[in-house]
Amino acid sequence: MDELLLIPIGLPILAGVVLLLSSFLECRRGVGTIGVGKGLSIFVSGVIGISAVLALTAAWQGEGEARLFSLLKGIPVYFRVDEAGRLFVTLVSIVWLLVTVYALAYMKEEKDGKRFFGFWLLLYGVLVGLDFAGNLVTMYFFYEMMTLASVPLVLHDGSRESIMAALKYLFYSLCGAYGGLFGIFFLYRYCDSLTFAPGGTLNLNAVQGQEGILLTAVFVMILGFGVKAGMLPFHAWLPTAHPVAPSPASAVLSSVIVKSGVLALLRAVFYIVGTDFLRGTWVQYGWMILSLLTVFVGSLLAFREKVFKKRLAYSTVSQVSYILFGLSLFEADAMTGAFLHVVFHAFVKCGLFLTAGIFLHCLHRQHVEELGGIGKRMPVMLWSYTLLSLALVGIPPACGFISKWYLGLGALQSETGIFSWMGPVILLVSALLTAGYLLPVSMKGFFPGKEGKAAEIMVSEEETKCSFGMLLPVVLLGGTAILAGIFPNPLIRYASDFAGKLLGMKGLG
Amino acid sequence: MELVQNFPFMSIILSLFSGPLCSILNGKWAKRVNTAVIILVGAMSAAVLVFVLDTGEPFIYRMGHFPAPWGNEIRVGVLEAFMAGFFCVIMLLCMMGGAREREQHIEESKRNLYYVMVNLLLCSLLALIYTNDLFTAYVFVEINTISACGLIMIRQTGRTIEAATRYMIMSLLGSGLLLLGICHLYAVTGHLLMSNIAQQVQVLAATYQYHTTLMVALGLMSVGLAIKSALYPFHAWLPDAYGYSTLSSSAILSSLVSKGYIFLLLKIFYRVMGFQVVTESRVVNVLFVFGILGMLMGSVNAIRTEDLKRMISYSSVAQIGYIYMGLGLATEAGTVASIYHVLSHAATKSLLFVAAAGLTDASRGNHFKDITGAGYRNKLAGVAFTTGSLSMVGMPMFSGFISKLFFAQAAVGHGVKMLPTFIALAISTILNAIYFMKTVIRIYTPMPKSEGRTISIEEQPSKSAALLLFVLLNLILGLNSEPVIRLIQSGLKMFD
Repeated sequence: MDELLLIPIGLPILAGVVLLLSSFLECRRGVGTIGVGKGLSIFVSGVIGISAVLALTAAWQGEGEARLFSLLKGIPVYFRVDEAGRLFVTLVSIVWLLVTVYALAYMKEEKDGKRFFGFWLLLYGVLVGLDFAGNLVTMYFFYEMMTLASVPLVLHDGSRESIMAALKYLFYSLCGAYGGLFGIFFLYRYCDSLTFAPGGTLNLNAVQGQEGILLTAVFVMILGFGVKAGMLPFHAWLPTAHPVAPSPASAVLSSVIVKSGVLALLRAVFYIVGTDFLRGTWVQYGWMILSLLTVFVGSLLAFREKVFKKRLAYSTVSQVSYILFGLSLFEADAMTGAFLHVVFHAFVKCGLFLTAGIFLHCLHRQHVEELGGIGKRMPVMLWSYTLLSLALVGIPPACGFISKWYLGLGALQSETGIFSWMGPVILLVSALLTAGYLLPVSMKGFFPGKEGKAAEIMVSEEETKCSFGMLLPVVLLGGTAILAGIFPNPLIRYASDFAGKLLGMKGLG
Repeated sequence: MELVQNFPFMSIILSLFSGPLCSILNGKWAKRVNTAVIILVGAMSAAVLVFVLDTGEPFIYRMGHFPAPWGNEIRVGVLEAFMAGFFCVIMLLCMMGGAREREQHIEESKRNLYYVMVNLLLCSLLALIYTNDLFTAYVFVEINTISACGLIMIRQTGRTIEAATRYMIMSLLGSGLLLLGICHLYAVTGHLLMSNIAQQVQVLAATYQYHTTLMVALGLMSVGLAIKSALYPFHAWLPDAYGYSTLSSSAILSSLVSKGYIFLLLKIFYRVMGFQVVTESRVVNVLFVFGILGMLMGSVNAIRTEDLKRMISYSSVAQIGYIYMGLGLATEAGTVASIYHVLSHAATKSLLFVAAAGLTDASRGNHFKDITGAGYRNKLAGVAFTTGSLSMVGMPMFSGFISKLFFAQAAVGHGVKMLPTFIALAISTILNAIYFMKTVIRIYTPMPKSEGRTISIEEQPSKSAALLLFVLLNLILGLNSEPVIRLIQSGLKMFD
């Protein structure tokens, strides 16, 4: 029992509930809650700071574990630190720290700040719980809680559009999660335990003769958890829900929360079912086809989209499926690439959405065409954006190159017939499309041309003043995108060790 | 004998005699008496529960001190006391939640009669839970039917009279079959006390005598009670009866009345026929199949209906299906899951009915189109309805998730029945999600111009309190299921 593990989960949840209660009471008294007071900023940053530090300590200190009450006989709410949890918790904590700084500046002029930060804290606790979850049922528990806690962030501004988007998000997520639950019922039958173990816990003797049905269940599970990761055919909620949220919320939705779908898939496939059972089956191929299709279609849709935040959301659809494709190959290099891309995409997409937030918040511009000539007014901003875009496209030395390199390498090495060369081709085409939809903003921004000049003049000096709190995270993320590409070795080592461990266990067991 | 051991009998008698008492009081006083009786009975059940948990074994209370096999007995274990207490809590909350609707729907002069019916209903439920005598059970089944009919009919519209007549016919058919079954059993065993019948049935089963008669008796009793608790093909009376009656009636009927019959069936399975005999008979398989059909068809009907209250009623058909599916698994785990679902469904369904009433209150009508945006007009009801819906579709944290997991756990390793159970669970979960989420989306769809009125939390304090307590109950059942399960398990051990 390691109590340290419970604090970063419990503290933000508790603090979030306190904030929500106080916001509820204020609302009843009719006190307006516009803006973010000093007390609130200190409270939020304090809670996030303390819990992030504790979460990171717990993650890197060793293999702590904590067992709470039992949900069912033999299935406790159980947390344990392992490689996957460590990776995702680190990611979530860093993103949360940066975006909290941004959000505190961003929400200064928005209403209902308390409610927003209440759910913000709640969501952080839930995500840490999800990442540390040690068995499938605990993970499912936090997975659903995550949906519930993130819905209010999407509908924050209370407009009809955002409410409908939030409900769409809720509906898709719930149905997806039930696909996952359906799989859990079956795995419960055929697995030795639902506690995560690298290499899987599937009892092959029990499966004998019923492979077909189990494969179907696993496929339903992949589809179900894939909903959260925006995999085709259930991706439609993502471009609706992510852009309508306030920008800090869309940043974490797109960078971290979609990754929870990836984590859930990773846990189910690599920690419970095991790759041995799935290798070479129609489930693996189905998964590959769907993820490749998503990579391509997502980029295509992003290319066509004119609203900046929606374009980024479609880009998320496409980029997350890079990761899913990498995982679906069951090949060490591809998985290394996938883990690298988990990290890189989280930082890059977070930075891009924060940039979009600045355009929207300070300049009130949401269409791509309106962004001509901003390079002169906000050079730092646009430089960061350009670096982030280069990273997402995958141009060396920015970080996306490395993850894509490993993904392509893995695909070529994997013995999956047509997919071993189709994969890299589609990844390349999609990278071109990525360049096509991200870089024009930089180009128009720096070199507006004639019609852009007119737009440039309309941007007054006053408007482009952007608070330091909002700029800092974007600049940091932009810098990271390049630095991580130049010095990627520790990360690659961690990812490849991790991938090797997940796949290598099969030789022993 | 300790004083506490008199409590079960006293609670039955108390609620029985408070019924006639209410008939001479006016509406206001009848209401007070009724509330006091429910609270008192609840407290007594709690005391009995503590006592039984303490001694760790069931006790038998002989009425008039006539020894078996002549006297009439009450037999109390953990499960009985717990159920009685739980039913009291739900009933109290339902009465609190429906107070305003009763004033609207029931004529002033007849209001006290409503409380007569509720008291009698409580009495019959308690008797069904506690009695150890099959014929007494039958008598109280009839009392239960009559008072339930009264609860439906007291709101005087053509619809309710039709619904009550339907309910009456189906219910009497059910009790007739039950009576026939009891007669058969009496003929071959010569007893009416459950424990005595059980002994004889063991002898008969061991020697394979009167096998057909026994099976017929079991079949008749199961079908009779299945009709009364609205198992799928016999559910035709349910949507009207729940859909058109006044709020507290529909909440009580859906969450308690059908559950009383299920509890009696459980008793017949465990205590009268012996679980062994029941498992070997095919009756459980029939119940299993109809349970699954109910899970699916109830939800399909609920999706098709356009009326909020009827939708919730149809969802009851589906949930009753879950319970019978669990019983049909014929394992202890299945029974535990079913009993847990009885609790979970009672807590959730009454919550949904009360919340739906709050939503329609803030709108022009029951129809699906009318409730658009009602979640903004009545905030608490909106939140409560969402909670209930999430629990029904099986969201973790709420009670419905736990019961679904239990059903799945019970089905694991069951050979033939495992796969159908899993598939039925999955499909019905998705179906549930479709119609409940559709409603949640509907009530939170913003309306350009608001039709209907805004209702604040303070406006209806008793309903708001009831809703909050229901939500709390749901969360407790969902987050802290283990003690409840332990109670159910130890109760089942004392059961036969």
